[in-house]
Amino acid sequence: MTEKIQAFLKNIWPDFHKHKPSVHLNSFHTFTNYWRLWTLSILILAVTALLPLCIVSLINYQLIQQSVDTELNLRAERLTATAKSAITFFMEERLDALIFTVNEMGYDRLNDNARLADILKNLKLGFGGLSDLSVIDKEGNQIAYAGPFNLEGKNYKNQSWFLEGLKKKNFVSEVFTGYRDVPHMIIAVRSLKPDGSSFILRATLDTDRLIQKISSYKIGSHTDVFLVNHDGVLQTPSKTYGPIFTKTDLSLSTDLDKTDMITITSDTTNRNVLSGHSPISTSLAGTPFILVVEKEKQGMAQVWLALRQSINWTVGISVFFIVFVITFASTFMVNKLYRLDKAKAETMLQMEQNQQLASIGQLAAGVAHEINNPLAVISQTAGYVKDLFSFKEEDLDASEIVENLDSILEAVDRCGTITQQLLGFVRQFDVKVNKISLGKMVSEVLSFHKKEAEYKKIQITVSIPDSIPDMETDSGKLQQILVNLINNAFQAVDEGSCLDILGSQIDDEWIELVIQDTGCGIAEENLVKIQEPFFSTKQDKMGTGLGLSITYGLVKKLGGKICVQSTQGVGTSFTLTFPITLENEESA
Amino acid sequence: MKHIDILIIDDEKKFAAMLSKRIQLRGYTAGVCYDGETGLKWIKENKGAVTLILLDLQLPDIYGTKVLAGIKDLHPDIPVIVLTGHGTEQDRQECDRLGAYQFIHKPLKIDTLMATLENIREHSK
Repeated sequence: MTEKIQAFLKNIWPDFHKHKPSVHLNSFHTFTNYWRLWTLSILILAVTALLPLCIVSLINYQLIQQSVDTELNLRAERLTATAKSAITFFMEERLDALIFTVNEMGYDRLNDNARLADILKNLKLGFGGLSDLSVIDKEGNQIAYAGPFNLEGKNYKNQSWFLEGLKKKNFVSEVFTGYRDVPHMIIAVRSLKPDGSSFILRATLDTDRLIQKISSYKIGSHTDVFLVNHDGVLQTPSKTYGPIFTKTDLSLSTDLDKTDMITITSDTTNRNVLSGHSPISTSLAGTPFILVVEKEKQGMAQVWLALRQSINWTVGISVFFIVFVITFASTFMVNKLYRLDKAKAETMLQMEQNQQLASIGQLAAGVAHEINNPLAVISQTAGYVKDLFSFKEEDLDASEIVENLDSILEAVDRCGTITQQLLGFVRQFDVKVNKISLGKMVSEVLSFHKKEAEYKKIQITVSIPDSIPDMETDSGKLQQILVNLINNAFQAVDEGSCLDILGSQIDDEWIELVIQDTGCGIAEENLVKIQEPFFSTKQDKMGTGLGLSITYGLVKKLGGKICVQSTQGVGTSFTLTFPITLENEESA
Repeated sequence: MKHIDILIIDDEKKFAAMLSKRIQLRGYTAGVCYDGETGLKWIKENKGAVTLILLDLQLPDIYGTKVLAGIKDLHPDIPVIVLTGHGTEQDRQECDRLGAYQFIHKPLKIDTLMATLENIREHSK
């Protein structure tokens, strides 16, 4: 089980975090910064996947919020409208009753206390909510009174409701305590005496009845319905603002005359409340009341909260899942890439070493021929000397024997020279950085191709001026580069072709070497591919496709540059540029 | 026109000279040509009066296989032994196709050559 977990962790945890650029392997790596690759992959995938999710969620959020808000507004508006019409009716009904009474009875009958008491009794039976009735002349003197309080003979001329009542035909007062010290309100109707002067029929309304009416609209614990006057003083008790006559800080609409308007405002500063304001006005008289309905959103928006929570959860889980999958996939891919790239780089390094041996192998043919010929001479000459002893024992000519032995020695010397050359050549692979003469190295490499060039009638021109300074470089690598390129040239050319090797000094720091042949050339579409490993046009499986790719790598390691120009059927030209001193020694 | 036993076509002068001397010491006749063109010319002029031809592949003028083809054009029944320093497998196949008698790598053992010559002479009688 733990093994499975470890394998899982290995897959999800990047194993390239240990990747350190190695001088040898680095030139063969396709990528160098795997962390960047990894983070980039995660970032791009995450943005691609999460951005649409977030946008859709936000839109969803907004839409739901909007629809919930609209619904809440509608509900508040509906409640305000219903309560308003009920209260308006309550006021109107009582005003109507007074107007009816005044018109029906007339002043003569109303100024009689007993009559008035009858009327009060009937009104109480019909409508309720009235506690007393009184008739007041235009000087404010109470003419008649019916009711439980002893208010007869009082003068009201200084009271504001009286002054207002005189001005208007019908009048509804605010709630006040008055002489009785009990919250009540007054409705009054003005009419004319037979002598043409005004009088007022006044009724006192208990606020209890009004409060009861309003309370019936307080549905649920999140709703508050109450009346205030134009100054914001409570006319009925409020759950939020306190008992009657408390001054509230409500910001009331300035357009209080527009009585048919319902204003819904969303107060988010203190409490999350939707409030509906509407001035109350009857068809008979205006009132000083403003209806206020307050609904706490919190209470109404349970559905929205539940929805929001489920959206949040869904988005949260999705984000977590997406990030997890993306991380897993990125790690998996980059890990795979890293391992493959590493394996490739290691193979290429191995190949570079193998190719070094293979390039000697390619030379072997030339060397064998160079040695085989003198060996054949030695064999025949020695055989001949032996023959002399076998066939001409009697008249042996000492000078002939010496002459033949000399030619054997000469042939042995030839072989010796060749083996020395070969040894010198192979020894270069052990030596690291040293000073070498470019001209000497080119002629060394060419010496193994001398015979082949003769047979194929290849005209080799080497032009490397002596003035070119010795260069400090890894001679083994430089030699391998030359062997590879010259071998390639020899394979590309037919009989009678030319191979030119031209050296020149560009400036104090750089040397240029051009190797050009008049061989078959490289097709244009292949030119870009020649430095890729395992690319070969030799279809007879003779080529590994590694020669040029390794050559390019070697030139890079020596701090040089290589470029190729080729025309199919005309020839190929490789231009190499090397630094005279190897500054960044990479060959360690 | 004199019939000879072995015609050596090889550009390595010392080798050819020594081989020719050794053949003569053994009582046979030998001729030497140092390049392909001279060789073909000799065969043409002497109307193939030779028992066996020893042919090197690496010749300065014409490549050995082409010389072989030339000889076979003129006298398809003359046996030709191809002698080479480092002939490839491809060369061997090409020589077999062209009808070479043998394909031998240098160095050459004189006794083997003599035995082959005797063998050919026996068969042609």
